[in-house]
Amino acid sequence: MSPRVCKTCGGTDIDVDQSRGNAVCTSCGSVLEDNIIVSEVTFVESGGGGVSACGQFVSSDGSGYGATPNFGGDFHAGTGKESRAQTLQNAKRHINQLGHQLQMNKHCLDTAFNFYKMALCKHLTRGRKSTHVIAACLYLVCRTEGTPHMLLDLSDILQVNVYVLGRTFLVLARELCINAPAIDPCLYIPRFAQLLEFGEKNHEVSMTALRLLQRMKRDWMHTGRRPSGLCGAALLVSARMHDFCRTVKEVISVVKVCEATLRKRLTEFGDTPTSAMTIEQFMKADLEKGDECDPPAFTEGKRRERLKELEVKLSKKLDDMEDEVFSFQDEIDQELESSRPKGRYASNSQSSVQSDKGEEPEEEAELREAARVLALRQLTPSGEGEEDEEEEEEQEQEQATPRRRPSVAALLGPLPTAASLGLQDSIDRCLGDEKENQDDATSESGELDLNGIDDEEIELYLLNDKEVKIKTALWLQQNADYLKEQKEKEERIAKEKELGIYKEKKSRKASRRYPPIRANSADEAIEKMLEQKKISLKINYDVLKDLNIHTHTHTPEKATPTDTRKPTSTASPSSGRRTSLTPHTHISSLGKRLRPLVSAHPVKRLALDELVPGGVLPVGVPVAMPTPVVVVESGPVAYGEDPDEEEDEEEDQHCVSAMEMLGGSGYGCDDDDEGY
Amino acid sequence: MEPGGDVALDIIVSNVVAVFRVRCHLNLRTIALEGLNVIYKPEFGKVLMKLRKPKITASIWSSGKIICTGATSEEDAKLGARRLARVLQKLGFKVRFSDFKVVNVLAVCSLPFQIRLIQFAKNNRPIASYEPELHPAVSYRIKHLRATIQIFSTGSITVTGPSVQNVATAVEQIYPLLFECGRALR
Repeated sequence: MSPRVCKTCGGTDIDVDQSRGNAVCTSCGSVLEDNIIVSEVTFVESGGGGVSACGQFVSSDGSGYGATPNFGGDFHAGTGKESRAQTLQNAKRHINQLGHQLQMNKHCLDTAFNFYKMALCKHLTRGRKSTHVIAACLYLVCRTEGTPHMLLDLSDILQVNVYVLGRTFLVLARELCINAPAIDPCLYIPRFAQLLEFGEKNHEVSMTALRLLQRMKRDWMHTGRRPSGLCGAALLVSARMHDFCRTVKEVISVVKVCEATLRKRLTEFGDTPTSAMTIEQFMKADLEKGDECDPPAFTEGKRRERLKELEVKLSKKLDDMEDEVFSFQDEIDQELESSRPKGRYASNSQSSVQSDKGEEPEEEAELREAARVLALRQLTPSGEGEEDEEEEEEQEQEQATPRRRPSVAALLGPLPTAASLGLQDSIDRCLGDEKENQDDATSESGELDLNGIDDEEIELYLLNDKEVKIKTALWLQQNADYLKEQKEKEERIAKEKELGIYKEKKSRKASRRYPPIRANSADEAIEKMLEQKKISLKINYDVLKDLNIHTHTHTPEKATPTDTRKPTSTASPSSGRRTSLTPHTHISSLGKRLRPLVSAHPVKRLALDELVPGGVLPVGVPVAMPTPVVVVESGPVAYGEDPDEEEDEEEDQHCVSAMEMLGGSGYGCDDDDEGY
Repeated sequence: MEPGGDVALDIIVSNVVAVFRVRCHLNLRTIALEGLNVIYKPEFGKVLMKLRKPKITASIWSSGKIICTGATSEEDAKLGARRLARVLQKLGFKVRFSDFKVVNVLAVCSLPFQIRLIQFAKNNRPIASYEPELHPAVSYRIKHLRATIQIFSTGSITVTGPSVQNVATAVEQIYPLLFECGRALR
């Protein structure tokens, strides 16, 4: 407590006794406080003689009954807090729900909730589905804690696209500056192993799988790949190693990758030297030693590059070779007619000596195979057909191992075709480059710089009349449905326009267009406007009209007293014609807030009254007419003025009636009732 | 540690996207019916016109705005754009070539070594983002250049940026970072 000063003596030594609830000044003895409010635990005796503490349990996060007491304070502040509390409450509920489905422990769920609170502070929940944000928070926790939950699991439960969740997760991680450690496939092994039910050998199989994974990592199989795919492959191999026959299908149902992926991983693993080891060797081998392999994608890329290079070189040499090729073609024909297999085998041996490019053993093997097949096939004599088949086969081989030297007669056949295909593109490119006129000069003034644009060529881009007709017909035919729809829509709109109920969809402003109002004064204009515009649909204005007729006779006398009071509060309980409503009524019927606006009018009225002392009628009338505010005269009302007064009175009456009808328990209404 | 300019890296620009305006209202139906190599999609409200010379596909809107994609260099894009405007001019529209702007450039580059993605992601924590579950490449954003680089483990990278110069600068910037996490020069 801040040092308090005694009021009587000014002493600062004050003794506060909690038990009595007193605050006493020790110097002069005056009691400064009595019945101090204490905040200690109080006890209450219950029925059976037991004692229990008073109070309620309130949950730690501030939600729950009685947690946010609103002592009748500012409602505005109260509602703002509630909304935030509500959001947090909802989020907590969702997080818990989702977390329980994933079997996450309480600590993780709390952390996830904290992440959510942080995200809320940074306004990251705006514009995103709350389920996405919650899932992202949960996944963030999974990553930081290292639980074996995949993003795929979350998306499975929520039925949301993985990549959408992933995007939200990435945004969250970046904004909250949380560095999620990279996924280690080893984390998933125990989980998948359990699902695959290895029984007692579970641990052993897991260990083997882990070793396999480590080896895979060193062999660069795991960069850029989904960890689940690798896990699947590792588990499959280790299961087989331990004599468990788990089929590919079982594994993929657990691991959630497709069969193709799993097979590919297995193939890649098969390419590594590790696969050549026996089981014992593998278990004992030191995984760190040995060469690392290239990532499979890398080897694939390299191979393709090499092939491309070879093809390019081949095509370059083609011009020289073409003549030779043709001559060789003749030779082929000749040779084919003569003894077939021997000739080929002879040329095979020749070619292997002469070919420059590497991979000779492969070529030879392929050639031998081809020759064997051909030898088999030559039993069915069909000269050209065979040749074609040969060519096809060798074309395929050619793709794998293109040769530069067309030294072999038989093998040369397909060469030109394969090469010529490749050549076509390059020739086009060359020709294209030659024709191309590169022009760098530009004119920015909006005019088209025609430099470098070949007009003739441009002409080619335009169709002549005949072509246009044909194309028009075709296009109309193709898009007939769409055009029909458009026509129907237009017709519909035209019809509606005729009937006058056409409502423009796009114009967001007042859709109803009333005929322009012609009136002599603003009052009239307003009356007429109010005629058109109905204030409320729930009022039976006909009834109101009838009621107005009765009270009409009373109003002239009572008009004056009401003037001096608030203008809107002319409290005739009867309701008049809805039509003639004053500016006052119009505003009053809108609501209480606009009341202050209305107060402007009485000022005018009073002024006018003062101007017209004694209520001289003939003078009053002309004065009244031009002014925007209709002034009600005091004193006897001439018959001639009835219309005006009627208007006023009715208006005044309408004021009240409209308001009452609308249920407005206005401030001044009751007073005026009494006044009337 | 390693020479920036001496390494002759082939940065191959594979796509340039540019936008420009012709400043006049275009009747898409006319273009569709009288032009060669056009695809008209009335539901989407645009016409696709393909040019052969600079191999370009252009999306033409009736408001006169045109997006030009598929070019292999900035000059190509400009040439293609001008050709397109000329075609439209011949069709009878009062075109004025204005507001030409290259919006996006996509380039591919192949580094001679492989890259340890996990290590790279760790070194460049907030800027680089690696989610193997979602995408096999590390995505690295250079804010001040407004360039995004996707790095694959094989050493090939794709760079997208607002201009060819930016792209080249981005590659230069990222090269040393990649070299640190590179595996071996093969």
